[in-house]
Amino acid sequence: MNDMNMTGDTKQAASAGEEAGLDPREAAQILEQAKRQAQRQFDPHPPLAVVVGAAGVFLFGYGAVWWSMRAQHVYTGPALWSLAVLYGLIAVSAIAGSVASRAKSGVSGRAQRERQAQGAAFAAAGIGAWVIEGALRYRGVSFEIVYGVFGPTVPLIALMAVAAGISATRENWLQLGVCIAIIAVASVSTFFGPLGAWGLTGLGCCLVLLAYAAVLVVQQRRS
Amino acid sequence: MTTNTFEPLDPLIHVPARLRILVTLAALNEGDTLSFTRLQNMLDLTPGNLITHLRKLEDARYLRSKKTWDGNGLATTVTLTTRGRAALEAYTEALRSLLSGLAS
Repeated sequence: MNDMNMTGDTKQAASAGEEAGLDPREAAQILEQAKRQAQRQFDPHPPLAVVVGAAGVFLFGYGAVWWSMRAQHVYTGPALWSLAVLYGLIAVSAIAGSVASRAKSGVSGRAQRERQAQGAAFAAAGIGAWVIEGALRYRGVSFEIVYGVFGPTVPLIALMAVAAGISATRENWLQLGVCIAIIAVASVSTFFGPLGAWGLTGLGCCLVLLAYAAVLVVQQRRS
Repeated sequence: MTTNTFEPLDPLIHVPARLRILVTLAALNEGDTLSFTRLQNMLDLTPGNLITHLRKLEDARYLRSKKTWDGNGLATTVTLTTRGRAALEAYTEALRSLLSGLAS
């Protein structure tokens, strides 16, 4: 049903009521409704479920890693099960997010090129941060710093810096605020060692995202 | 009297379905295109109905349609032209002044 060349449907339906005249008030109402609907449908804000899901990843994923290390007096690293929980939650959240984010489906042209450029920027930021992590380890920096402090924070900060740039370009101040808050939480948590980095980043980012979700709910109710 | 009141409104846009089509496309960034299927889903129109309205708008050069091969078949995409965006803006302005005239 993609093609505009189809001829099966009636043309009468299209012209029905067309010449009947439209009351200006009714026209204004249709215009406003259509505008609101389009803005909602093309909304660049992620769906609420995606934000809450991301909050869950921080709380339970980062929380699991923190939990597995909480009794360590000497850093030995997180338990494998906790890493499985973390990466499992990230994978589930990413898949659910890509399915739920339909805002730009069917939209191509400049928007599509923008998405590809943004994807490249995120990939460069993430890969760059992980390469540095590898380089630090290669240069003999301790496991505690490389995997305990750098691992949970710096890649996140790099990804959020890209997201902040995109939000600023779109003049999406709420999303920019969320990105900056996450960067702040992750940066400050590095002062508290591996336990603080995982625990504070997890809890802090979860709270930031839940606050963001609450604002989205209020905005949705108002519109 | 009614005819005079409606005169400033572009008759091509002053139809519910076409008004909704233009407003929906105008919500995208300039130069972005929207697939026929997504537009149809958003407006809840039958394919034939939507095609008829799109053709009228395309004839007036308010929008441009393009067919591309998307791997599964021919897919139609539509985009609002600069002329279409300007026409919608002029229509909105005319509607606003018409309503304020009616209110006073």
